[in-house]
Amino acid sequence: MTNKPLVAVLQFPGSNCEYETASVVRESGMDAMIFRWNQLKELSDSRPDAFILPGGFSFQDRVRAGAVGAKEEIMDLVFNEALSGKPVLGICNGAQILVESGLVPGWENGRIESALAANHIHGRSGYLSRWVFLRANERALKISPWLRMIGNDPIPVPIAHAEGRFVFAEKDNNRISECMALTYCDENGIETADYPVNPNGSFMNLAGIMNREGNVLAMMPHPERAFWMWQIPPWIPGTWGDRRNSLQHDPALAGSKGPGALFFRSLADYFELISREDQ
Amino acid sequence: MTEVSIEVRLKAPDPAAMTALSTLKRINPDTCPGRLERYDYWRFIRPLDGKRTVEEIVLHFHDIVNPNKQSWSFSGGSGILLSGDEELVWAEVLVTDKVDSISENWTDILRRNKYEIEKVMYSVLWRLGYSSGTSMAEARERTLALTITSYRDHGLLANPVSQNINLLDQA
Repeated sequence: MTNKPLVAVLQFPGSNCEYETASVVRESGMDAMIFRWNQLKELSDSRPDAFILPGGFSFQDRVRAGAVGAKEEIMDLVFNEALSGKPVLGICNGAQILVESGLVPGWENGRIESALAANHIHGRSGYLSRWVFLRANERALKISPWLRMIGNDPIPVPIAHAEGRFVFAEKDNNRISECMALTYCDENGIETADYPVNPNGSFMNLAGIMNREGNVLAMMPHPERAFWMWQIPPWIPGTWGDRRNSLQHDPALAGSKGPGALFFRSLADYFELISREDQ
Repeated sequence: MTEVSIEVRLKAPDPAAMTALSTLKRINPDTCPGRLERYDYWRFIRPLDGKRTVEEIVLHFHDIVNPNKQSWSFSGGSGILLSGDEELVWAEVLVTDKVDSISENWTDILRRNKYEIEKVMYSVLWRLGYSSGTSMAEARERTLALTITSYRDHGLLANPVSQNINLLDQA
């Protein structure tokens, strides 16, 4: 037994990022356990401190990406734990499940208020796999347990999706700023609505949205694929590219953490803070 | 002819339809249909020679109909794809992405290949079969409720934020 916080990584039929996600959680000083979608009792008995819905193609994206996973019984538990304030992160297909669950933006709990539609931007459509830059919204940096250590520098993280374009009903346009967590930008932090800075046509360049309280974050990019510095390609521009290149022939490259590690360190830091406050 | 539509279905049981039906049975057991069928639904707008042009396109482009695993028919035609189950009351709903790359890309492809056609529109057609005691009005009402995903436990087949939903007039 350890006193480390336990992060539950949920595996749906078709998830394919659960092992690397669990691995980076452990590398960040927390415990991680993978629970299958039908292990509701085991998940409930383990009383996890946080939940991650990893990437992949749950239920083969049948009907609509994330739509079937969102209806699974295990999501009842995640839904209630999220409402109680526990941190929940959805990455890529996990984000699609959270959107289809009505957990984000969560203006009305459980109501479906957004969609992750098929990529569509001038000159591009279909599946995209590439590196993008992200920046965190100021309010999100303050309130989200997943973003508290991200800082203001743009961070490179890869995307790999066909349905990653955040859209909302027109009537909700005036309250989208409440749920903005991560936006696409260039290596200097400048946002434009054009490809490749905004890779998929997402509304307001959104790469990730959160609920009002900030504990639930749905993001399309894969931070677990940018956890180690060696995962960053040497040609990446900006400060992270410079750091990566300075380690090119240095044995320290093997153990150096990359920008994706900041998401998981943020969560570990959040739990440390709670633990200190409890003492 | 201003519009020619075709319906395309898998020759084998459609896994998406099976998954959708089992999910609907779980979340909406009282209103769930007894059968659920899924079709790719293509509308060809203003093809020069009507059905003849569309048939030529379908036979030429195996991305629209892969003859190894799919069958097709003109919509509203002889109904060769219909289950023929007279005991069920059928309601049909079309789900179309509000912004649709598939339709845009196919319109471009066909024009580049010199087919005289105004545009192509892609949708998914869901056909829901209810028990014989169900009235058509009730079947249509249930179908709409099961289609529109308004809450996590209400509806499945379409997300109204990003998709248009059209209940068809008759099954």
